[in-house]
Amino acid sequence: MAEQWLKPPIELRYGEELAALCATDTGQKPENWKLSPKAVRTFILGGTVTQPNGKHITISRKFYGNDALVERSIITLAGNRGLMLVGEPGTAKTMLSELLSAAICGTSTNTVQGTAGTTEDMIKYSWNYALLLSKGPCREALVPAPLLVGMEQGIFARFEEITRTPAEIQDSLISVMSDKILNIPELGDDGFVFAKSGFNIIGTANTRDKGVNEMSGALKRRFNFETVEPIRDVKLEKAIIIREAQDMADAGHIDRPVDEDVAELLAVTYHELREGITAEGTMIERPAAVMSTAEAVSVYFQTFSHAWYYGDGQMDLRILTENLLGAICKESRDDLEKLKGYFHTAVKEKQAKEGGIWKAYYEAGAFLK
Amino acid sequence: MEGILRGGSIPEMIPFATDLPVLLYPVRHHSPVCSYHLCKTIALYQPDIILIEGPENANDLIPILTDSRTKLPVAIYYFYKDKAKLISAEGSDYHCYYPFLYASPEYNAMLQAKQLGIPAQFIDLPYSEILIHTEQAKGLRTEQERHSYASDAYLAKSRFFARICEKTGLRNFEEFWEKQFEIGGIQRDTATFVRQMYTYCMLTRQGTPQAELEADGCLAREQHMAYRIQTAMQTYRKVLVVTGGFHSYGLYQQLQGGTVKPFRLHTFASDVQDCYPIAYSYEAADALSGYASGMQHPQFYDRVYRDLCDGVNPSTVYRTQTLDLLVKTAKAAAKQDLPISTADVMAAYLMMQGLAALRGAVDCGMYELYDGVLAAMVKGEKTKASSIPLELLGKLATGDAIGFIGDRTHTPPLIADFEQQCERLRLKARSVVPQKAELSLFQKESGMAASRLFHQMAYLGTGFAKRLKGPDLHQNKDRSRIREIWEYRRTPQVDAALIDHTTHGVTIAEACRTMASQTLRRERRCEVAAQTAVDCFLMGIAFTPQDIAVMEEILVQDGDFFSIGTGLRYFDMLESLQTLYDFADASVMRYIEQCFGKLIALLPTMAALSEEQAGDCIAICRLLYGVTGRLLPDRQVELVQALQTLTEREQKEPSLYGAAMGLLYAMDNAYRPKVEAAMQGFLRGSLAVQKRGARFLQGLFITASDLALQDEAFLTMTNTLMVGMEYADFLEILPFLRLAFSRFTPYEIQRIAEAVAKLHATTDHDILHTAAIDEGLYAYGETLDRMIYAQLNEEGNA
Repeated sequence: MAEQWLKPPIELRYGEELAALCATDTGQKPENWKLSPKAVRTFILGGTVTQPNGKHITISRKFYGNDALVERSIITLAGNRGLMLVGEPGTAKTMLSELLSAAICGTSTNTVQGTAGTTEDMIKYSWNYALLLSKGPCREALVPAPLLVGMEQGIFARFEEITRTPAEIQDSLISVMSDKILNIPELGDDGFVFAKSGFNIIGTANTRDKGVNEMSGALKRRFNFETVEPIRDVKLEKAIIIREAQDMADAGHIDRPVDEDVAELLAVTYHELREGITAEGTMIERPAAVMSTAEAVSVYFQTFSHAWYYGDGQMDLRILTENLLGAICKESRDDLEKLKGYFHTAVKEKQAKEGGIWKAYYEAGAFLK
Repeated sequence: MEGILRGGSIPEMIPFATDLPVLLYPVRHHSPVCSYHLCKTIALYQPDIILIEGPENANDLIPILTDSRTKLPVAIYYFYKDKAKLISAEGSDYHCYYPFLYASPEYNAMLQAKQLGIPAQFIDLPYSEILIHTEQAKGLRTEQERHSYASDAYLAKSRFFARICEKTGLRNFEEFWEKQFEIGGIQRDTATFVRQMYTYCMLTRQGTPQAELEADGCLAREQHMAYRIQTAMQTYRKVLVVTGGFHSYGLYQQLQGGTVKPFRLHTFASDVQDCYPIAYSYEAADALSGYASGMQHPQFYDRVYRDLCDGVNPSTVYRTQTLDLLVKTAKAAAKQDLPISTADVMAAYLMMQGLAALRGAVDCGMYELYDGVLAAMVKGEKTKASSIPLELLGKLATGDAIGFIGDRTHTPPLIADFEQQCERLRLKARSVVPQKAELSLFQKESGMAASRLFHQMAYLGTGFAKRLKGPDLHQNKDRSRIREIWEYRRTPQVDAALIDHTTHGVTIAEACRTMASQTLRRERRCEVAAQTAVDCFLMGIAFTPQDIAVMEEILVQDGDFFSIGTGLRYFDMLESLQTLYDFADASVMRYIEQCFGKLIALLPTMAALSEEQAGDCIAICRLLYGVTGRLLPDRQVELVQALQTLTEREQKEPSLYGAAMGLLYAMDNAYRPKVEAAMQGFLRGSLAVQKRGARFLQGLFITASDLALQDEAFLTMTNTLMVGMEYADFLEILPFLRLAFSRFTPYEIQRIAEAVAKLHATTDHDILHTAAIDEGLYAYGETLDRMIYAQLNEEGNA
């Protein structure tokens, strides 16, 4: 069943790894955690576990770039503060939040998606109005939202894009995070819900949205913040593009290995445009668009799919350039000029020096309009 | 990792036993755990002599470093002047520091030897010999390590360590070292700790190519150290050798290989090679500073070591110190009004303990503390602004204390001179609190003397003093001020910078003179050379005959008109200030004459320069005119000829042409008809030529504004120019006209207005004064202005 899903939840996607870790986990666990902090670390950062029968199982690395950040996040969640992951779009904040939830609580789907239209009902609870009218306010008529579910089951409530929600809605979390109690006044004396051990909140916030709905100081005090940075290592970025594209290809039944040279080309392009300087030291203009690894993976896979469905399977650098254009030139016309500038300086320099695929890439850049 | 460090496969490689004639004890510089186990080793081994890694030409300084009055951090400052060109053809000067903290094993080795009444000796090659045996851009001759004798580059940058990092996910060498050795090692027994050090260092060494060891002088140093060890073995029964762990295996191999040959050492005079003990600071000793020489966070590790010396239990020492530092960080943050609560401190502490457990560390150290502060005290996105708690933590862990050399007989000459001058001028140079000095430059000799000292210290880049107010001769600003206000503060960096300049001279003035000479020889441009002359003027330092020769050579060789023009401006200024500043320099007049001659020769070639450069060229023309008036009246003829040649050129930048004509008129009023004819030429030309006429006027009025005031001819021509143009064309030339008339005084504008009014059959009152604005409207405008400004300010655009 899960195989047919476009994006199965982490706990299903990595079910075997979680089961292996659970079976071999001998570490101390905080109350209600499925795995010990050490096993959670291994689940996210990779490693090997040895089963009682002596068989070794490799746990894949799922988050790259900052191991200490993952460790801090795990320890934060074991304490009484929430975890707030902030950073540029496409830096895998949501993925990390899902991984932590899946490993610690066994589920990553207890989630609120923050938007300008998010209300307190969507966070805490709402009512089944038919039952409410027929039976009055009672537990049966209550429809629990992720916060209430998390408190009752002792699992994490994930709050995505928290800063897109209005400030007064964000602040409704304060009392719950402080007192670990949710009061449902309509239920009278039975209306107090005490959070079970293991409950916590993982929030994510996009730094590009900073200032849209700035978090209050009171709410900030209840979270430990972790800033997730973009990947700064080209080799690592290339490896991620290859791995993610291969996963997507497998899911889409595209039976063709990914082209590592093109992945490197794209990793270098994204890295240099993000940093504003080429490996050769040439200063270039940074586009206003988000230059995340996730975007690079998307551009790569679009080109890969195009080659599979319309071409001979070989990736066409002209199509790659067009996809790159679509990914970068979203917000401002200026970004087109910056991309052209990149081709006219950095790519030109590389094609003269290295030739090969860079030459073809430079020629494809002539079609940028 | 634990497995590797257990060193199961190579425990016997370097023996560690108390009955050996030679015991090689491996250390990392400034490491408390190495000092801790060293003291235990000394107690167990009972050596007859302790040999220590360090350039042996500092052996005489050991009693000074271990003097009971000396307070750490201190350092040995080594310098060598390669006058004999033994290192390279450039014959450069070299210097480096060998710092010591309370936690430094080398310092503790010296101290223990003193307490036991046994000798302690440095056994490394003298500083000069290390440099001689090091290839260009290697070891002590690299940019990163050239100031630091005690570098840990081998331990921290080996391929072996890079692999460990990759496998364990550790952030850097410091984190690895702290976890495995500092915190882990302190709870192991001494023999196990030493064996693990041997193992790690040997594996590191195995990953370093032999050619690299050869190139950076490592093998030569080890050969010399081995020779000294063998020599000591002939006299002493038990020899303890304290060296960087990386050398232990190399020394062991040398000693196993039989008799070691000695090096033939060079002999140098003390002005070529010497060393001094100096007060050092924790800040400079931090591996993160420019003089990377050991571990990061030196004060933190010094405190750990001093706690251990005071008998604190090794199993709790890190917990105690990290908690103490965490609380201090929170207090420092509170002083800066950051909202750090007790709950934040508790959250950070829990984070530290949790991380230590998760990472399998015996206790939490600096990296867990950093992570705790980052997670619990940095609110929101991690930016420079939100990371203040981390900055405070870094500062507290590094420390700001300055050491003190108890025995003053070895004070470096520049520091001695500095202290002497400060005492003479009554400057508070022993305080770390910033001081202010208000100096009367021309009333008291002491005022000028103090000003010169401040300028000298600033020129040497010591960071000692900063001028807040006073004449700025470089910018030609505030020259009428007769007082200077300076803020000054003596920090360890001041001493370090003075030491850096020791190779430049034995007094501050001499060092400045050397620096100025080097600048002259390096830059070779008149503009820079003249600025150096201004520096020397302010510092009260006269050029040597050799410097004067170089200066004159620069003036001959420099062919850049603008560089020479700027130079002339400085020299002209210096000439006019010589009496006031009581600093006569006869050569300045020669420089002026040389600059004048070159500018006159080059001036005609400037005729067709670009519009952007015209302003600078006109300024130089005016300067030349001024110089002929004040200093070189006999050479006015040359200027006239040069200007005439310029005006006769076919291609001329209009404003420069106008300025030249104006100057010619200024020098000879009979030139007026030619000026008028030139203006008429512009008026009679096409529209494009007429537009150039506006720029001509602009230049003309810069040098001869009286033309507009003498009679109506020029105003009539200007009027004709404007009236005959379309509105759009007029708008195009308006900026030039505005500039042309901007040089007139209000009285002159009044006179011009009267004349223009006559031309248009009206009165100047009607031109200059319009109807008074309504008071209410004015008030409304002001309110609106304030509102817009406030709004812009709010949006950060003001």
